[in-house]
Amino acid sequence: MAAAEKLLEFQFPATSAYLCTLREKLREVLGPCSPSEELLNFVVLAVSEACVNIIEHAYCEDDTGDIILEIERQDDNIIFRLTDFAHRKTSKEEMKSRPLEEIRPGGLGCHIINEIMDEVQLIECNSDCGNVLQMKKKLEP
Amino acid sequence: MKSKLSAESNYDVLELSGEIDLHYSPQLREMILGSLKNGNSLLINMAEVSYIDSSGIASLVEGFQTAKTANLSYGLLTISSPALQVLTLTRLDRVFTLYDTVEQFQSQL
Repeated sequence: MAAAEKLLEFQFPATSAYLCTLREKLREVLGPCSPSEELLNFVVLAVSEACVNIIEHAYCEDDTGDIILEIERQDDNIIFRLTDFAHRKTSKEEMKSRPLEEIRPGGLGCHIINEIMDEVQLIECNSDCGNVLQMKKKLEP
Repeated sequence: MKSKLSAESNYDVLELSGEIDLHYSPQLREMILGSLKNGNSLLINMAEVSYIDSSGIASLVEGFQTAKTANLSYGLLTISSPALQVLTLTRLDRVFTLYDTVEQFQSQL
């Protein structure tokens, strides 16, 4: 197994105004190593959805702060690590998909992330606040 | 996101373009529900939508439910490939009525 190569570290405020910039960064970094436009679109969507979850559910109500996105490449796998500093801890239960038979607005972000990514994992961290979400995707045709 | 709402004789057309994410979905929701609450059927042209996330999809679903309750026609026209990928992933391509032409929508009003 090759050593992980860092492709990006990007820190930005956890607000919806920065989502567009985030997607531009993702396309810039992942475009050259993505085998298809469709796969690139899906990966950009999944990472953006994970950030939406942080903005809406981790930094909820009066809490504000930053998100750090780290992207590493290890062989054919791309590893995405999202760190937030929210006071609210996200539970593994919250990362589960909801049944799609329920036709109602909302709650589709986790389904999208889980469908697109090969692995989705909340990393245990000892600090009092903050969450670390790690997602892995194999970029193959 | 850019949007343009126009009134036809017996329905509204909402033309969307660009990226629809959490930053713009409240505006989309307001436009969709505003049109439906005026009692107008609604056709949403999504040909130029380059990106849509779950919050944008949620606005479309809320419109679908509101239209159904009010017995109004509601459909999506010429959906772009990136938007269709998301609808397919969330299996909502089977829920929304998708139209290739305006005439198809008009014929069921």
